[in-house]
Amino acid sequence: MTAPRPAVWNPPPIALRLGDTLAEGWRNLRAQGRRSALALLGIVIGTAAIIAMLNSGHMAQRAALKLFAKLGVDMLQIQAASTGAAPAQLSRAAIEALPRHDRAVLQAVPLAIGRSAVRAHGLTADLATLAAPPALGALARLPIAAGRALRAIDDCTLATVLGAGAARALSAPAGAIAPGDTVLIGQYGYTVIGVLAPVAIETLDPVDYNLAALLPPGCAARVIPGGGPNALLVRLRDGAQGDAVGQRLIARFAAPGLSLTLLDARTILRTMQQQRAIQSRMLTAIGAVSLLVGGIGVMNVMLMSVMERRREIGLRAAIGATPADIGLLFLVEAMLLSAAGGVIGAALGGGIAYAIARGAGWTFALAPWTLALGPGAAGTIGLVFGLYPAIGAAGLAPIEALRAD
Amino acid sequence: MGVVVLELADVSKVYRQAERVVPVLQDISFSVARGELCALVGPSGSGKTSLLNLIGLLDRPSAGTLAIDGARVTDCSAAAAARLRNRLIGFVFQSFHLLPRLTAWQNVALPLQYRGVPRARQRAQAEAMLARLGLADRSTHLPGQLSGGQNQRVAIARALIGSPRLLLADEPTGSLDSATGREVMALLAALHAELGLTIVIVTHDQQVAAACPRRIALRDGRLAGSADE
Repeated sequence: MTAPRPAVWNPPPIALRLGDTLAEGWRNLRAQGRRSALALLGIVIGTAAIIAMLNSGHMAQRAALKLFAKLGVDMLQIQAASTGAAPAQLSRAAIEALPRHDRAVLQAVPLAIGRSAVRAHGLTADLATLAAPPALGALARLPIAAGRALRAIDDCTLATVLGAGAARALSAPAGAIAPGDTVLIGQYGYTVIGVLAPVAIETLDPVDYNLAALLPPGCAARVIPGGGPNALLVRLRDGAQGDAVGQRLIARFAAPGLSLTLLDARTILRTMQQQRAIQSRMLTAIGAVSLLVGGIGVMNVMLMSVMERRREIGLRAAIGATPADIGLLFLVEAMLLSAAGGVIGAALGGGIAYAIARGAGWTFALAPWTLALGPGAAGTIGLVFGLYPAIGAAGLAPIEALRAD
Repeated sequence: MGVVVLELADVSKVYRQAERVVPVLQDISFSVARGELCALVGPSGSGKTSLLNLIGLLDRPSAGTLAIDGARVTDCSAAAAARLRNRLIGFVFQSFHLLPRLTAWQNVALPLQYRGVPRARQRAQAEAMLARLGLADRSTHLPGQLSGGQNQRVAIARALIGSPRLLLADEPTGSLDSATGREVMALLAALHAELGLTIVIVTHDQQVAAACPRRIALRDGRLAGSADE
């Protein structure tokens, strides 16, 4: 017999068959019910851990940057404390000369920080006193609610600007503290010229502005021991190395009897990030292990499914399913199974991220791309772990499969 | 004899068990013409089912050639064989082999699915085929809700839906009581008469064999005779 081979007709378009395959896969998974659900557990936990990790990282990042929102991250703060009896004093001239001496420094603001009992209307409040040049108001973006900010002409006058909380603490039921009122700071009567609106506390704020009385820098010795600056805020040029500049400044201001503390926004941020990196590595490890276990679970379910459905495989082969068709059916089932776990896991992970945000006091925000990542990663797991059972199913000999019971 | 649908030339099949070679079929040559209804008979172990598997392209011969519609089909790939089965051959099995989770029409439509027929057309064609076999009102029933005879008719509908050149039935009445078995045989005979369908039935049931105009007998893997009435 030397007849020609029959013309094998072109296989139908894959998209058409894929639609049928998806519908069938879904039907089969539903039929398997509880066993499918159990296999999903690992995938669900794994996806949830990864989604929670990514989103809490995202929110923590936003929360951390919020701590530097007003001042920005190109900031240093140096605080001087006295190790002897005399109050800590830095040279105002040296601070003001810094931008000329150090190319990395854009601006340097001398601060004198103290604490005083402040009295008005028969009320007393224990407030931070902060004597600083007018530049601080602009640098720290201090919002004026009433009256005006301190200006250069206020130097050495008895003028003060009160924080929102300080004003409230000194307000009698009869009348709130307003510009023009007099408050007693230490032994001196100061005229209130302005009141600040409430401000959020940030990491590099030298005092809590809400509970502070701001004073002009001249004649601060009336209420702050020594009167001279005992701290400074430094704004760095873009791209300056915060820790290196900080070390330089520490060396410049070092003097006997002084202990200097450096706060560097970038270093603080980095420390926070390092702590978070440990947490997220842990969550990633949990997620990866769970996904692996979940993948093995999916493989197990699919292997059992192939075993149980050998007759079906044989029948499908007999009526025209190619090995690729059969492999695809089981692969699609594995991927659907895993992706379903991924969807549930993504929802759970979103919930965990919400709980973490509530616990940490962060604003809850989901990065939408992470939600797509969950089912995507899970589907990939399904693809990888479904491959082996699918190849097994595709390789079954039709007559063996038909004979199975 | 009319147009030859199926032709076997010196077909042999051996199985290897450990070191031993077990011959199952030896030098089988015969042909079946279009519109023939033949029974493949023989005692159990004579190789009937093995031969049917070869004819149905579910297995490959160890030697010899096989042609369907004049085209050689012995040495094609697994995928090509699957497509040929889909196009050329309808199967009816002793145990029906219906998928329990699919309704009657979905079972009938399965071969169309592997042909890439759109879903809406699949259902219309499957329901039309079920109606022809008297199961119009059973199309959305699951196999578990149908009797044995009804299930075998669903399976026959599935075998016919692709307009095959050759219907292969392996003990089609084997799981049925004798009355239902006679009904199924009557249905096959009617289809043969109406559609001019070529049918090969493997059976060890004398009554089934007697209902077929042609009988091919196997004994110990060899052709023991071919009788026409």
